[in-house]
Amino acid sequence: MSEGKSGSILVVGGGISGLTTAVEAAEAGYETIIVEKNPYLGGRVAQLYKYFPKLCPPYCGLEINFRRIKQNPKISYYTLSEIEGISGSEGNFNVKIRINPRYVNQKCTSCGECAKVCPVERSNEFNYGMDKTKAIYLPHEMSFPMKYVLDKKVCTGDSCNKCVEVCKYNAIDLSMESKTIDMTVGSIVYATGWKPYDATKMDNLGFGKVKNVITNVMMERLAAPSGPTKGEIKRPSDGKLVKTVAFVQCAGSRDENHLAHCSAICCMASLKQATYLRERVPDSKAVMYYIDLRTPGKYEDFLNKISADENVKTVKGKVAKIVEDETTGDPIITVEDILGGGKLNERFDMVVLATGMEPSLKGQAVLSAVALQDNGFMEEGQLSGIYSTGVAKRPYDVTTSTQDATAQALKGIQSILRRQ
Amino acid sequence: MADETVFTPDVEFVRSLKEAGAETMKKCYQCATCSVVCELSTEKSPFPRREMLMAQWGLKEELVKDPNIWLCHNCNDCTKYCPRGARPGDVLGVLRQTVIMENAFPKFMGRIGSDHNYLVFAFGLPIMLFLVILGAFGHLHIPDGPVVFDHFFPVHLIDPIFISAAIISLLFFTVSIKNFWDGMNVNPYRLMANGRVIPYLYETLKEMILHTKFDKCGANKDRTLAHRLVVFGFIGLFITTNVAVFNMYVLGWHTPYHIDDPHILKLFGSEALVGLYYAGFKLVGNLSALALLAGAIIIFTNRTKPKGFVSVSSPFDWVFAIVILLLAITGILAEFLRVVDIAALAYPVYFLHLVFVFFIIAYLPYSKLAHIVYRTTAITYAKLAKVE
Repeated sequence: MSEGKSGSILVVGGGISGLTTAVEAAEAGYETIIVEKNPYLGGRVAQLYKYFPKLCPPYCGLEINFRRIKQNPKISYYTLSEIEGISGSEGNFNVKIRINPRYVNQKCTSCGECAKVCPVERSNEFNYGMDKTKAIYLPHEMSFPMKYVLDKKVCTGDSCNKCVEVCKYNAIDLSMESKTIDMTVGSIVYATGWKPYDATKMDNLGFGKVKNVITNVMMERLAAPSGPTKGEIKRPSDGKLVKTVAFVQCAGSRDENHLAHCSAICCMASLKQATYLRERVPDSKAVMYYIDLRTPGKYEDFLNKISADENVKTVKGKVAKIVEDETTGDPIITVEDILGGGKLNERFDMVVLATGMEPSLKGQAVLSAVALQDNGFMEEGQLSGIYSTGVAKRPYDVTTSTQDATAQALKGIQSILRRQ
Repeated sequence: MADETVFTPDVEFVRSLKEAGAETMKKCYQCATCSVVCELSTEKSPFPRREMLMAQWGLKEELVKDPNIWLCHNCNDCTKYCPRGARPGDVLGVLRQTVIMENAFPKFMGRIGSDHNYLVFAFGLPIMLFLVILGAFGHLHIPDGPVVFDHFFPVHLIDPIFISAAIISLLFFTVSIKNFWDGMNVNPYRLMANGRVIPYLYETLKEMILHTKFDKCGANKDRTLAHRLVVFGFIGLFITTNVAVFNMYVLGWHTPYHIDDPHILKLFGSEALVGLYYAGFKLVGNLSALALLAGAIIIFTNRTKPKGFVSVSSPFDWVFAIVILLLAITGILAEFLRVVDIAALAYPVYFLHLVFVFFIIAYLPYSKLAHIVYRTTAITYAKLAKVE
């Protein structure tokens, strides 16, 4: 089975960058295909509570893109899908795509009756493991497509069958199998994005051992109304409402032992997250421990705005040790106060590690058509007709990602036109 | 502008640090991870972040008077966690060598004793000296009969050489340490350092013997055992050497020792007592030699085995490790060759052993061994000035 044509653009990854490339190219009149490995589109942005510097909800922008997709017949998308092979050359690539089974078909209305009867639970990766879903679940409450998905790894299958029985629409099919399709496309844009760096690898920062040490991506979910705590910033150990938070910058980034690159967004993200705390709890305090505050260009205004709040402090010095007070569960951080002199041992309700962005492709077995740099970001120009955008290419914030994604749409179009 | 502080970077100094093995120091971007992961770093005056900056800027005068670089025991937790591969542990090792050279009296001895480029002179001096003396007294040949070292290099020749070398060395060392103390004892700590020295010195020595600080090391723990072996080996050998001096000059008991020596038998009363004394003396000496050898071997294997992070020993460190190893090997080998009576090898090996012993004694104020005194002085000062 072969679909598509040499005049179309394949976009690998359906996060904000991939969506942007696909939509922009489609609106310029070109066929685009999005291949997304998650059961939903939107990527990491879907998991954010607010954008910096405008502090507006990211889902707003995603919804606009979803509407553009729905309205545009030139865009098709595959969720739960991966690229298995690329051959050919610019203007005429043959691509193999594996579509993994959702076990839920088009008839799903997301009424949720299936999840109610499902007896099995699984860790909810959308909330970074801070809560659970049933084995059959809606990825998140604004999912696009708005359809349930079944996690076959934990589902007990036919022996249970409760969801199948309860579904009025015959939407659940436990026998669904993965299939592979072949496709011809003119150009390919990789927008595979990033994953949060595994914080357990930094053994001195206590993540995974000190219960009230979380990562910045977890903080987004804690603050989000759709998150595990319904938007209340409560700490993991005892559910206590958090009043004091330490932000530990460069947790993994700019570190040869972890991520050698600067992740570019963490300083702004921590300043932003300080507002999550400050807007909820009046006498709350946030301290940001940094090596350098990197808020380039216009972002300097954001730094000035946030640090004008006297309850948001910035201290120069990298936190390199976090231990737990065993009686209270409070994390205690140790840092050298470079400007003030001497070491500080400070107690907080919670510590947020500003963990960096690791390219999703890093450490993965990638196709020969794709070349990675040592740090896992994509090497540009290895094979003409294949491009990369967003954090697959460089550590970008959302604004820069979308600008670059638009530019890559043009690159993809040029590859097609060159061929004709 | 009266309270303006002006730092004048010494570019030559920066270059010399890099050449001595601190070439990674410019990679440091001052995050202060090192100061926190270091178990020995103090709360009020953490290190080595500040020392890395001073080294980058070439602030020689500031560094030379900084007690912190001697509080460092080269555990290398800093190097392991350094996000930039700047290797603060190695840099501080080079800084210690620099302080030793800066305070050295006389200066040319500091160069000979601590700069590996002058090794030929460092070893040439005792070799020439010994050859001249042996030649002058008609001993420059392999003696006949069973191996008795006294027949080759008589004790009445060894003692004047080594005792005068030791005395000169100690005098020079005293001047060097006086320079060091005076350099350190300036504001802001000067006023605080007016307490009595002895209790702090006692506390420092106790810490050093018990290896209290060393035991706090995280990344490089195996070094503690090696260091203990070398320290106790040296202490044991120092004691044995002094007992040998005591035997000769006080008891009048000369080598080669005979248990049935009528003179010593009269002193002790019974052969059993003499035997016990002799066995104890030999046991301490041989065990100490083995401890030194074992320690030196562990130091070697530790430096060459992969640790999960890069740490490079400077030539200054290597030279001393090699000297200790050769000192132990030649000592034990000389004893073995004497017992099995191979004259042709025993005497040359003994000669070499004496060269290494001379190296240790004569260059004590300038070699890595100088750290015993520099470190004791600095830690005592830090305690006195309440830095620690």
